[in-house]
Amino acid sequence: MTTATLDLESAQWLRDLTADETARGGATERLHSLLLRVSRAEASRRSATARQVRAEEIDDLCTQAANDALMAVLAKLGTYRGAARFTTWACKFAIFETSVRLRRHAWRDKNVEPDETIWNRIPDTRPQPLHRIENEQLVQALHRAIDERLTERQRSIFQSAAIDEVPIDVLAERLGTSRNAIYKTLHDARAKLRLALIDAGHGDELP
Amino acid sequence: MTKLDLEKLLGDDGADPGCDAAGELMDAYCDALANGESISPRFDEFVRHMRNCVACREDTEGLLAILQQQENPGPR
Repeated sequence: MTTATLDLESAQWLRDLTADETARGGATERLHSLLLRVSRAEASRRSATARQVRAEEIDDLCTQAANDALMAVLAKLGTYRGAARFTTWACKFAIFETSVRLRRHAWRDKNVEPDETIWNRIPDTRPQPLHRIENEQLVQALHRAIDERLTERQRSIFQSAAIDEVPIDVLAERLGTSRNAIYKTLHDARAKLRLALIDAGHGDELP
Repeated sequence: MTKLDLEKLLGDDGADPGCDAAGELMDAYCDALANGESISPRFDEFVRHMRNCVACREDTEGLLAILQQQENPGPR
């Protein structure tokens, strides 16, 4: 898609960001200003997550997020195809950089290692996502499937992400991988568990 | 209730593009929604991923909130 098919404002952004140094500098400053506003707005929207973070830390976090978002936008400028307005496309990077930092910051002092005793505590002190599951046989089948069908990594990630609700960005950082890779492992684990529950006769109870 | 909790644990069964591919569609989806356009079937898998992935869902909500602010900036 060429800039001719873009809306006027998006086309102008692209022209300015790829123009000579003077015009490009001004556009880069405006873009950074926009990304910083977006980052601060997102941090404010997520004030519950950011509650334990001091105001100056939040501001520093937002500045870093805007800086990295700007770098990402400029690096990926050639991949922008105009499926959305340019500013929407660019703001996406600021949202992502901000949310990842906030999640990691909120969990920075917390242990995310899987608790191997978690299943032994069921049903007396079920974690939140499980406490409403009334069908004890179903819970036991799920327990067995997690023990028997999942690899160690799948079990660990499923327990952390799906049961203990550890954000996958936090897991990605701790395990030295990406959000997408953690999600893929979680997705594969869920598919195995679905099959195991069907095999165990619980197919009708699956959503 | 059981099905809701199971869905939270096991996700929605069906094609799910994952975080990277869903992220590629996030801006177009949010723009379409903000513009009041009907959501085309090409977003079906994206929407399923949003149900399955808390992080991507929160990011999409964040982008939508920004677009909403831009449309209705309120008093300055």
